[in-house]
Amino acid sequence: MSAQMKLGAFLWATGHHIAAWRHPKAHARAGIDIDHYIQLARTAEAAKFDMIFCEDAAGLREANVDIASQTSRSIGFEPISLLSALAVHTNHIGLVSTASTSYNEPYGLARTFLSLDHLSGGRAGWNLVTSASQIEAANFGATGLKPHADRYERAREFAEVVTGLWQGKASGHDGQSFSVRDPLDLPRSPQGAPVMVQAGASDVGRDLAARTADVVFTAAQTFEEATAFYDDLKGRMAAYGREPDEIKIMPGVSPVVAETEAEAREKFEELQELIPDEVGVALLSSYLSISDLWRHPIDGPLPELPESEGMKSRQALVVEQSRRDGLSIRQIARHFAGARGHWRIVGTAAQVADELQARFEGGAADGFNVMPSYFPGELDAFATLVVPELQRRGLFRKAYEGTTLRDHLGLRRPS
Amino acid sequence: MHLAVSLDIASAPGQAGLTFGEIAAFVRKTETARIDMVVISDSSPDGERSTSPFEATTLVAALATVTEKVGLVANASTIAHQPYNLARRFASLDIISHGRAGWSATMTQAPHEAANFSCPDGFSDDDFRRRAQEYIGIVQGLWRGWDADALLFDKSGGRFHDPEKMHLLDHKGEFFSVRGPLNVARSPQDTPVLALSGLSEADFDIAARTADVILFDERPAEESRARHDDFKRRVSACGRKPDAVKVLTDLSLTTDRINGLADRLEEAFHSKNCDGFNILMPAQPSVFDDFADRVLPDLRRRGLFREDYRGTTLRSHLGLTGGGDR
Ligand SMILES: Cc1cc2nc3c(=O)[nH]c(=O)nc-3n(C[C@H](O)[C@H](O)[C@H](O)COP(=O)(O)O)c2cc1C
Repeated sequence: MSAQMKLGAFLWATGHHIAAWRHPKAHARAGIDIDHYIQLARTAEAAKFDMIFCEDAAGLREANVDIASQTSRSIGFEPISLLSALAVHTNHIGLVSTASTSYNEPYGLARTFLSLDHLSGGRAGWNLVTSASQIEAANFGATGLKPHADRYERAREFAEVVTGLWQGKASGHDGQSFSVRDPLDLPRSPQGAPVMVQAGASDVGRDLAARTADVVFTAAQTFEEATAFYDDLKGRMAAYGREPDEIKIMPGVSPVVAETEAEAREKFEELQELIPDEVGVALLSSYLSISDLWRHPIDGPLPELPESEGMKSRQALVVEQSRRDGLSIRQIARHFAGARGHWRIVGTAAQVADELQARFEGGAADGFNVMPSYFPGELDAFATLVVPELQRRGLFRKAYEGTTLRDHLGLRRPS
Repeated sequence: MHLAVSLDIASAPGQAGLTFGEIAAFVRKTETARIDMVVISDSSPDGERSTSPFEATTLVAALATVTEKVGLVANASTIAHQPYNLARRFASLDIISHGRAGWSATMTQAPHEAANFSCPDGFSDDDFRRRAQEYIGIVQGLWRGWDADALLFDKSGGRFHDPEKMHLLDHKGEFFSVRGPLNVARSPQDTPVLALSGLSEADFDIAARTADVILFDERPAEESRARHDDFKRRVSACGRKPDAVKVLTDLSLTTDRINGLADRLEEAFHSKNCDGFNILMPAQPSVFDDFADRVLPDLRRRGLFREDYRGTTLRSHLGLTGGGDR
């Protein structure tokens, strides 16, 4: 485990809370305002975050157009162009974007991320996802979403080709899903190769991460879930000849922080009040991959769920939580809407720092992917309240140690 | 007349690529000179390998935030990207640049490019053309998926956008099937500018229907005029105004061609061979200084080139309204 924790600033639309955009202090126009993002990047860099992280989906998030129109997630910047713009307005912070192995080709993706890496002087990272949504699939052909196992088989080959290209591998590739004739025509990365990030949590997802990832994002609510995931993933690495500290595991955390605990609770309740029931239920049902959740009584329990080809791990998490706490659909929908199954802490800076410290020192995390409820307010709050507290405790850096994302994360340069 | 500058960042073998600072300084120079747009490509059409550290769309994203007026057009091939992804990238560039972005596509297949994109044999000319046509239709259709007034931001009413003003594409074609809509808002200039190059005559009708700008190679005067007339006739035949598409002719710039250049440009422009020129920058972009210092003032004195930008978007520089047919 590293001596100090790693921190990512997870930028998403108007905020991670589903009703974020409705908050009086949230910037609703985030998705069409580049200056807003430049400001967020500067805030995160001033707070010495390791990286900015952008999620991605090549399509709408929500199939129901009425529900979609009540959230801010249907429009936004395409993340690689966004981060390329941010690259020249920042000097230290890492820039990580998600991109799908299902709807790209390895040569193009490797080239694009390497260009971002050069623009930023070695600060780029790629979050590999296999894309679990039917909505995305419909933008790339008529055959629909491929089965989970097929997506991961393609992802494995994809990652192998990309890594080879970044390492300057000269010989051609001719495989099951891809063929690539030439090496990349861009010079080698300033940090050896862009950082590889993954967030898959299924069995095959974990194996792929254990084999190829430098950073792993995850959703874990309880300490037990987090340590179980941590130990499992690190345990898989030996099979691929890797040391446990070659991967930094960074669970998502959605803090709501204020000067006093009462203020933090009030702030959180204010957000929860802004969630329309139909939106919460729709969001939950899309993560559970069942389209008719709304047919079930909203104050009753979750119905039995069919095994999903989408997000197996996320589904298991939600189901387990609802059974554990005896929650109704409405309760779990609201609860889930706030942080999408991620870990939430509501409290003072000291309380948030206590919780992060306990997981960090207890072997549940190497760092955290911070998911502010709304922007810019909650990123500012984390930066000005929580970060100084972590620094006082010696848990987080006061200055960047190096210039590349690999430097910040304490990762070896690939040969 | 309209003036574009094409910068191929794929530098000569053995030569170090331009740094971001050098490229940004050059693009700012074109902005000071009130050039309509800079067209950036990252691989030479003859398949020469680049030694630049940058890919064109990511570079343009970065340039967009360090410039204010000049149009920024990135070359991106129909082989290297899926249409949905390309449409998103450029829609996003257009918002980052506040309406100054364009997509430059070539109708000529780059040798061996497809072999790096899991298509070892490439496409036949005919397939490539039909595929490109379908591709362009999808991209422009996706760019129009959101009405200009679709976003409401109504916090108290709880409506972020008007669902009636978001439109599915539902495209099912020979090569692609794309449902849409795009998850990027409408462009500040309606749609990003589409510039087509590498056209053979068989591509003229596709271009006449879809393009905003055509980049033609340099030909003898007579041939240029005939080609220009033929092309504009086809634009009219599609029900578009002839000046809805700007035809720019390539102009290779070397120091020894600067003398008398204003005369030659005036002659070509007045005999209606084109609507302007696309200045091809050699590996040494400093040649542009000679053009800006010695040729532009002359063109301005003759009333052939604007003193200043009239608007803020690339479409306004080019004197264009909304993009393509609809
Ligand atoms: C922090 C975090 C961020 C994620 N970001 C994305 C994303 O941007 N796009 C996406 O398609 N999936 C994203 N996912 C989903 C994962 O890639 C993965 O599909 C999911 O965790 C289910 O795992 P599995 O595919 O191995 O079953 C994210 C997951 C986490 C924990």
